[in-house]
Amino acid sequence: MMRVASVGPPLLGGVLLIMGWGALAAVLRGGHLVAGPAEVAGWIAANPGLLGRALGKTLTNATLGFLAGNLVAIALAGVAMIWPRLLNLISGLALVVFCLPLIATGPILRVLMGPGDGPQIVLAALAVYYTTLIPLLTGLRATPAVWLDLVHSYGRGRWSELIHVRARAALPYLFAGLQIAAPAAFLGAMVGEFTGAEQGMGVLTIRFMRALDVPALWAIAVVAAAVSMVVYGAIGAVARMVLHDRPPVILSPPRGKPVSGLSRLFQPALLIAAVLVLWWAGMALPGMNPFFAKSPQDVLAALTTAPQAAATRDTLWTALTETAVFLLPGYVAGLMLGAGLAIALVLVPNLSTLVMPIAVALRSVPIVTTAPLIVLFLGRGALGTISLVAAMVFFPTLVACLHGMRQAPGQILDVFHIYAAGRLRQMAHIRIPAMLPAFFAAARMSVPAAILAVTVVEWLTTGRGLGSLMALSASVSDYNMLWAAVAVVTTISALCYAGVAAIERRILFVYAPEQVRP
Amino acid sequence: MSCPILTRRGMLTAAAGAAMLPFARQAAHAATPVSLQLSWLHSVQFAGSYLAQKNGWWQDAGLDVSLLQGGPNAPVEPPVVSGSALVGISAADYTAAAVAQGAKFKIIGVAMQKNPFAIASLSGNPVTSPAELVGRKIGMALANTPVLQALCILNDVDFDAIEIVPTQYSAQPLVSGEVDCLLCWETDLPVAMAINGIEARTMLMADHGYAVHSQTYIATEDSLRDRRAELVALMSGELRGWQAYQTDTDAAAELTVQMFPDAGLDLATQKLQAERQVPLMFSDLTAQRGFGWFSDDSVQANIKTLALLGREVTPDLWDRSILEEVHG
Repeated sequence: MMRVASVGPPLLGGVLLIMGWGALAAVLRGGHLVAGPAEVAGWIAANPGLLGRALGKTLTNATLGFLAGNLVAIALAGVAMIWPRLLNLISGLALVVFCLPLIATGPILRVLMGPGDGPQIVLAALAVYYTTLIPLLTGLRATPAVWLDLVHSYGRGRWSELIHVRARAALPYLFAGLQIAAPAAFLGAMVGEFTGAEQGMGVLTIRFMRALDVPALWAIAVVAAAVSMVVYGAIGAVARMVLHDRPPVILSPPRGKPVSGLSRLFQPALLIAAVLVLWWAGMALPGMNPFFAKSPQDVLAALTTAPQAAATRDTLWTALTETAVFLLPGYVAGLMLGAGLAIALVLVPNLSTLVMPIAVALRSVPIVTTAPLIVLFLGRGALGTISLVAAMVFFPTLVACLHGMRQAPGQILDVFHIYAAGRLRQMAHIRIPAMLPAFFAAARMSVPAAILAVTVVEWLTTGRGLGSLMALSASVSDYNMLWAAVAVVTTISALCYAGVAAIERRILFVYAPEQVRP
Repeated sequence: MSCPILTRRGMLTAAAGAAMLPFARQAAHAATPVSLQLSWLHSVQFAGSYLAQKNGWWQDAGLDVSLLQGGPNAPVEPPVVSGSALVGISAADYTAAAVAQGAKFKIIGVAMQKNPFAIASLSGNPVTSPAELVGRKIGMALANTPVLQALCILNDVDFDAIEIVPTQYSAQPLVSGEVDCLLCWETDLPVAMAINGIEARTMLMADHGYAVHSQTYIATEDSLRDRRAELVALMSGELRGWQAYQTDTDAAAELTVQMFPDAGLDLATQKLQAERQVPLMFSDLTAQRGFGWFSDDSVQANIKTLALLGREVTPDLWDRSILEEVHG
């Protein structure tokens, strides 16, 4: 896999991108939608101090959130490997916390943490820990069974297994998680500033959007995207330096132990109980006034015994059906786009200099900047909404699948090279099967991501569905409705996640049986 | 040796002295720390508060006031309910909604006598009266649908004949021709358009019967009972600040830009916004009774409009006792 570094393609990609951007700006001149490269460069040159201070602030918060979120993910994954019985509980709770919409958590974090950088850092950490945890759990299982047998034959336990075998096997997946996290942390810190921060790139974004200051708005977006690209590239470079072992052939006997019906019910019941206890305890923290901090019994009462319970249920149901229409197409489109692009990039590597910057940019620029463009081209109807959702979820899939395909075992590739098998054949027989664990990890973590994306799009462009309902409820202090909607969003995420996981088990049972065991 | 020897002890003493300095000043004034929760990002919208802070008018009254910035995801009501802010800047409709949900708020002052909601349109295709909304496309947040409905009822306009396009809060959909008009504030998007050289017309909803007090000061009943002195001190600072604002809005805009260098504020925009805010905040009533005052008539008009918005309230929502102490 020796590759000669060449400057040509990246440079060409960069030039093409900037030319395309300039052409788009020229075509849309006067529409107050896009500022061209020259205008943006001019604004940056004229406001270095303002931009520098805002960038410093947001970057610091994003970095702290990135570190905290990823360390938590690594710690959780380690615990789940040492005590496999906790695996389902940990990944279930992690899913629930990831599902909490910003519109519910933001104000609460602000009340609990007061003025300062606390909420921004927490929201950046919340934006990244889950997309690291899921690939990491997959990676920790991506080991040949004989290696583990070797550890056991020396009489060593799970700790040695984790340190000597699993941790190394997980490294490629960890790097995928970190690369996904880089733009997410930056965006998380920016959106966290919407909760009342004094300075930063998010604050400037709101300001410039309202002021119709398009060059400034685009300058912020370009800088946010550039920073994310640099960090993404740096993590990729570290990965290439660290990972020089060729991926092994993972042979593992299928050991699917039939799970009894009782145990099947026990795990979800335990998770639900844990969620309810944590919810209840969280709402009892000091400073959590019952006016906005609703406990499970409040929400249950609002949905069952309260005088307007029937109306509340109707409103929720209507919003839910409006959301569901866009959710599945957006999710599937995002997943297919991510996997399809990853395959295309492996077949035609030079494309990546053109595609990756756009992909990172789409993930790191707040939707408030890009949404008007997508609305202009695709409208506010179903197509626009589905495309926005797909644009927000395809990135983790793309990165995970790229890393997954690199896990194609070297020895088998050698066999194909000997027979002069072409790229397509390699792709179909080796790379795609090798990619499957990473693909399904992406499919699982995209479930809550897609639901959150739909709610954001609904809030900003269509004004219907659960996202709009949550924003409206918060603005008129209807916190019962807000928390009921949060509960609905979380339940749906968990159910869809379980559905995807069931499909995954069936397929990986054949292609990657090491993933199916605890 | 004449030069002082830098010993570690000497450095520590100096550092401790420096660190104590602010506390020493605070002790002399015995200022009580309180917070004022603003409803949006820092801008000239709250310039009266900045003037009060800059000129030490709250310090004089024995308060050390922190101004907490708002934002798109920073509702005002939770910090006021939980006590982390003594007073919040809200509006009568949001306050009524929160009270319906069990919050014990009172409106203790009204900064915007006239509601700032307006219908903005381009000069080439103007909307100058509610009747002209019929058959037009209006860009707005769907959350504001009740506001438009109320305007239609007040002016006998067929609501169903207006096409609502849910948009972000930006002038872009209007400028690009996606919609014919926007539901926005008189003091933000139209100002942005003017600064960008786009001629826009605005129709103030308050001129067509929409009476909802805006930029209202809210406090909890508990605070009104237990922290009266602090409330009076806070409001008296606000009063002095906004009086100074009225006399020189340009200076207020300059102070705002200077106080928040990282907020990305543009001086020309702030000056224009400060100017356009004046007719909303100051009236014959405030000239007569003082800043923040509200009459029984305006309370009755508010109750009527709020009912159209689906909010049943009584005059008990308003409490004039703090203003009476401030002005008395």
